[in-house]
Amino acid sequence: MISSVKELEYAALEIRKNLLKLCSIQAIHIGGDLSVADIMTILWQYQMNYVPSDISNESRDRFVLSKGHASAVTSFNQAAIGCFSAEDVIREYATDGGRFSMHSCNLVNPYVEVSTGSLGHGFPIACGMAAGLRLKGNCRSRVYVVMGDGEQSEGSIWEAAMNAAHYKLGNLVAFVDFNGLESDGTIDAVTGLGNIAEKYRAFGWNVQECNGNSMAELKAQMDSLPSADSDQPTVLICHTVKGKGVSFMENQVKWHAGRITEEQYQQALTELTVAFSKRWGEC
Amino acid sequence: MGEKANIFLRDVIGGYMTELGKNAGVVVVNADLAGTCRNRGFVEKYPERSFNVGIAEQNMISFAAGLAHEGFMPFAFSMAPFISMRACEQCRTDVAYGNLNVRMIAPYAGCSGGISGATHWGMEDCAIMASMPNMVVLEPCDPIQAKKMMDKMLDHDGPIYLRCGVEPVKPIYGEDYQYEIGKATLARSGDDGAFICSGIAVKYALEAAERIKEQEGKDIRVVDMHTIKPIDRCAIISAAQTGRIIVAQDHNVIGGLGQQVAEVLAEEGIGTKFKNVGIKDEFVAMAHAPYLYHQFELDTDGLTKKMMDMLT
Repeated sequence: MISSVKELEYAALEIRKNLLKLCSIQAIHIGGDLSVADIMTILWQYQMNYVPSDISNESRDRFVLSKGHASAVTSFNQAAIGCFSAEDVIREYATDGGRFSMHSCNLVNPYVEVSTGSLGHGFPIACGMAAGLRLKGNCRSRVYVVMGDGEQSEGSIWEAAMNAAHYKLGNLVAFVDFNGLESDGTIDAVTGLGNIAEKYRAFGWNVQECNGNSMAELKAQMDSLPSADSDQPTVLICHTVKGKGVSFMENQVKWHAGRITEEQYQQALTELTVAFSKRWGEC
Repeated sequence: MGEKANIFLRDVIGGYMTELGKNAGVVVVNADLAGTCRNRGFVEKYPERSFNVGIAEQNMISFAAGLAHEGFMPFAFSMAPFISMRACEQCRTDVAYGNLNVRMIAPYAGCSGGISGATHWGMEDCAIMASMPNMVVLEPCDPIQAKKMMDKMLDHDGPIYLRCGVEPVKPIYGEDYQYEIGKATLARSGDDGAFICSGIAVKYALEAAERIKEQEGKDIRVVDMHTIKPIDRCAIISAAQTGRIIVAQDHNVIGGLGQQVAEVLAEEGIGTKFKNVGIKDEFVAMAHAPYLYHQFELDTDGLTKKMMDMLT
């Protein structure tokens, strides 16, 4: 188990390198994968109680990817904890007979609790799972759900937000990957979300905000979560940068999805490793 | 006094939830229609296993899917149009895709909602729900069948959509009735023609067959196709041997039981006289359900006339 900020940042670096390798082979949702990479790394490689060899264990934490298109970054994190290898993901992603779909699918990947892809679905399902855990008397497991910011436009998000507070689902921890961009442009240009934190607060949630690309801040948030048997759901509004870590992708709408050239791949790898080395010394 | 009180399937089904509640895994999820769907008995008896998400059918189905992921068997209640259309994608992607044990219980099937108007009619629900992989689609016609159907639901692995009308029904089967999902029931024997039907149409078909027997001496079979999907092909092939088939269902004629039966006949290469009776692919103004059934020739008069025409 890795636990220091440096180790976690290194783990996130490895995730990003894998994402870019895959992106050099075929188009993936690279922008959102990179913005949410730190969140996913801390969840899968630090926070969650989840053992790949025992995936039906009742005491495990549950994970739901509501922004189902971030399947590549999820798969690489699952690889990092031993579900399979990163090479498996690179080889089989979006291939005929492969285990890794462009949207998380548990028909082929048993480490996916809930198949997702259509937005606004994972979050309400996660609420039902959290209620189910309570009903079973499981007061230790949490349900972690990761949403996009554009996804907040779905009405079903707010139906679920209302409900989670009503049923006092303190075992539910939601993340909003707030990178400010969606498929058609900036969130503000498409349909602004206003003050998303205030909205969740008004719905009765414990709302926290942090830099979602800062491992130190994410770790501090994870270490101070209310206990799973508390009675208020938590949402973490994570301010992130779409395409984080790769200069030509950062904050670019066009890098919602795409494929990079070998040259771009080499440039991106260099940028990522140089940035890490600057912070922590040689990899 | 004297006359027996009307029997309504939603009373039977909602009420029977207190029996099913003896199984600890059974939970109920409502979307503000616990009263309409008559499951308040369960809610009062098992409050800890009852959820009400408010007027949010999409959330109801997703929430139920989440409960099913955790091993429960949720019964989600709302009107047929709201489950099959408002929450269509949730039924398909959150429930059917995961092959989860959610039971969607949908009164207001067909135009039984009558004077509420088309907003409250589930006249496309079989077409929608049957087209989802893994989904079983059921429609009971009498109280005993409804209860036995619900008992069988406990043992089935995968999602089930149950539709029922809100018009009064007649008891058709006795306590010894044997029910099996996917196996049609022969409600009346006969070899001169056959009605294949479900739900309220079974009552009308039985009355029509009785009239035809009295008037013409002909024996008309009534096949109760309570399982719309998976359909009982053998029962259809057997009925076709009578040479005359009329399918009747309170559903749009497009995408309902009639087209499913026709497909089986075509695939089997069977030629027979055939009629598909139901809502005639049109929106019509609100009216009481019996009036509508008469207009659509789905009631006893209509079915009698159609079969008589076929006999001559």
